[in-house]
Amino acid sequence: MKKKKVLLAPLDPVHDIGLKMIKRGLEQKGHDTLLMPPDYSQEEIIKSIIDNDADIVLVSRTLGYGVAEILGKFIDLAEAAEIRDRIKIGIGGMAIRPELAAELGFDAGFGPGTTVAEAVAFVEGRKYIPEETKGKKNKKDITEGYNYLFHNKKIEKLLDSIVDGILDYVNNKTTTAIQRAEIRRRILESDNESEIQRLRVDYSKLCDDVIKSFYVSGKYREKTRPLTSSEVSALKRYVDEVNSRMNPLRLQHNDKNPVVFIQYGTGCPFMDIAHIKSCEAWGSDGAVHFDPSWGARTEGFLEGYITHEEDGSVITYENLKSIKMSLAPNTLWQVRAHRGLNTPETVLLAGKIGADLTKVNIAYGSLGGGTDPERLTVDAVAAIKYAAEFNMPFDVVTNEELCGVPAYKAFAGMLIVSKLGLRLGAKPILQPLFCYSPEVMVSGQMEDNYVDFNAAKIYCLRNIVNAPIWCGAPIGFLTQTEDRVQSSLMTALHASLASSLGVDGISIASSDEAFSGGPITVPARIDTLRATQASFRFFGQSSIAPTENAQNWANEIEEGIEKVLESVVKNGNFIEALYQGILGSREDGAYPGRAGKNSVIKQFC
Amino acid sequence: MSILDKIMDAIDLETYLVCKDEDEAEKLTKELMEKFGFKDISIVFIQHQGPGARVRARGYIYKPGDRYGWLFKQSY
Repeated sequence: MKKKKVLLAPLDPVHDIGLKMIKRGLEQKGHDTLLMPPDYSQEEIIKSIIDNDADIVLVSRTLGYGVAEILGKFIDLAEAAEIRDRIKIGIGGMAIRPELAAELGFDAGFGPGTTVAEAVAFVEGRKYIPEETKGKKNKKDITEGYNYLFHNKKIEKLLDSIVDGILDYVNNKTTTAIQRAEIRRRILESDNESEIQRLRVDYSKLCDDVIKSFYVSGKYREKTRPLTSSEVSALKRYVDEVNSRMNPLRLQHNDKNPVVFIQYGTGCPFMDIAHIKSCEAWGSDGAVHFDPSWGARTEGFLEGYITHEEDGSVITYENLKSIKMSLAPNTLWQVRAHRGLNTPETVLLAGKIGADLTKVNIAYGSLGGGTDPERLTVDAVAAIKYAAEFNMPFDVVTNEELCGVPAYKAFAGMLIVSKLGLRLGAKPILQPLFCYSPEVMVSGQMEDNYVDFNAAKIYCLRNIVNAPIWCGAPIGFLTQTEDRVQSSLMTALHASLASSLGVDGISIASSDEAFSGGPITVPARIDTLRATQASFRFFGQSSIAPTENAQNWANEIEEGIEKVLESVVKNGNFIEALYQGILGSREDGAYPGRAGKNSVIKQFC
Repeated sequence: MSILDKIMDAIDLETYLVCKDEDEAEKLTKELMEKFGFKDISIVFIQHQGPGARVRARGYIYKPGDRYGWLFKQSY
C-alpha cells in the first residue's frame, strides 16, 4: 500500500488526545504524519496542508458549540484554496456525527466510540472491519490441554479404590431412568411410526402418574402448556432475523480470561432463547440450561414444545432442540443432569441434540439435590457413559457447599465423581463454588475478604490434579444484593479473581441474582456481562494477590480431602458413605435424598 | 402496534426520592409506577439514607409463558 502523508489538526483550544492516538496508529502502519498543535486558526491549518503537500487531513472537534459553523467554514476554506478535490478530509470527535460530517461536505465523520483502526482504514481507503467481526469468536474446548495427571498420588490411589467399588456395586443393576433412556434412544432413532407409538407406551409405563397421564390422555402437568404452532413459527422468524444482524461483543481482554457462561431457565424456552440471543450479543460464551425442580423429582419426561409458569425450563427433546437451533455456532451449551431422577435420559437427549457439556455430581445430587444416593449412583454411571459416548465433558459442581457442607468434604465427592468419569472415558471439569458459603459464614474465613478462601480452593485443586476448572455457580453467590451496581460489581470482581487464578470457565448471574420478586430481566443480564468485560479490561494480565491465608487454607482443604477419602475407603462403600454422612453430614446441613429410594433394580444374568 | 410490544420483558425505573424514610419511599414508588400505568409492579431495590431513597422499581410487560408482542412482529 502506498504510504500516505497525513496531517492531523485539532480544531479545539486544547483537545487533541484522539488525534495523538490516531497518529501513533498511522505511524505503526508506516504512514507519515504531522500533528499540528491545538488552537491554530483554520487558515493556518489550510496553509499547512498546502506547505506539507498532505494527502489526507484529519481534523478533530470535541467542543459542541458552533460546530456546524466552524466545520462548514473549514470546507469552504479548503475549496477556496483549491485543495478540496485532491485531498480527503475526515472529521472526528465527541461533537461529531457521521450525518453531520456528510452534510457539511467531509469525506467521513467519526463520532464517539471510534477506534484508531477505523481512522486508519479511512486513511488507507479500505472498508473498516470491526474487531468483533475480524476476530470471529470460536467455540472453546475448556478441557483442551489437560491430561488429568494426579500430582497427589495418595489421593489418586484412594480415588481408584473408591471407583473400583462403585463400578463393582452398579454392575448388574439398573433403574427405570436407565430403561427410559434406552427407550428414548430407540424412539429418536426409529423412523417407523408404529414402532415409535409402541415404544411411547413402553416409556409411559416407566413414568410417574403425572407424566403417564400425558402419554395416555394428553393431559399436561399443572402450570405447563404446549406452545402453539403460531408461536413456534414466530420463534423461527425471530431467531432468523436476529441471527442475521448478530455481531457479538467479546468479554475477554486477553487469552487468560476464562470463558463466561450465563444460566437460563425462565420456564419458557422461547423467553430463554430471547435471553440467550441477547447475552450472546453482549459477549457471553456459553449458556447453561436449568430445568424445573419438579423435573428432577418426577420419573419421566414430557414431549413437545412446552412452556412453564415457574422457574426452570422443561426438558423435552423439542424444547432442547429449539434452543440448540437458536444458538450461535460459537456458543457453548450445557444441559444440567446432576441431581434428579432423569439423569441418564437428560444426558442422552443433550448428546443427541448436540450439547457441548453436561453436569453430573452424585454427591451433590444425593446430599443436596434430593435424590437417593444408591439410585443416583446407578443412574450417574449410565449418564457418564452417555457423556463419554457423545464426547460431552461434564462438570462436577460442589453445590452441597450451599447446604453447609465444608469444601473439603464437597471436594472429596467431586474428585470421586471426576475419577469415575475418567474411568468411564469421559472428561470431567472441576466446578468448585466461588461463593460466600455457610461454611465460611460460620468459620469466618471471609471476614476480611472474599479472595483468600476462593483462591485456596483453586490452589488446592491445582495441587491435586491437572484438570480444567470452571468456577460456579454463579460466581459470587450470596455476596450479591438487590442493588444492581453492587451486584454487578461483586460478579465482576469474582470474575477477575477467577481469571487471576487461571481458571478456564465461570458462570455468572444477572444483577437480579438477589431479587426474588419476579423473573430475571435481560437488562439485568447485560449489567453483569458489561461489568465482567470492564473488569477483565481493568486487570488485564495483572493479578490479584491473595494473602498467605490462601495457601494455608489450601493445605488444610487438601488434608481434609485425604481424610475424607480414607474414611470412604475404610467404610468400604461409596454409597454407604453418602448415607452415613462421610461426604456431608446432617450436622453439616446435608441430608441423603429420598426421591427414588429403593428403586434400583437388580438384574440377574 | 404499541411500543410496549417492543419491550422484551420489563421496564425498570430508577430514581432518587426525597423522603423521610424507606416506608415513604416505598409508598411513593408504588404510586409513581401506578401513575405510569404499570399493572405488574415490583420494587427491586430500595435504600433510604439521609435525604432520601435510591429506588429501582420494575413494571413487567411480559413474563415467561406470556404471548410476547415482540415475537409476533414482522420486524424485530
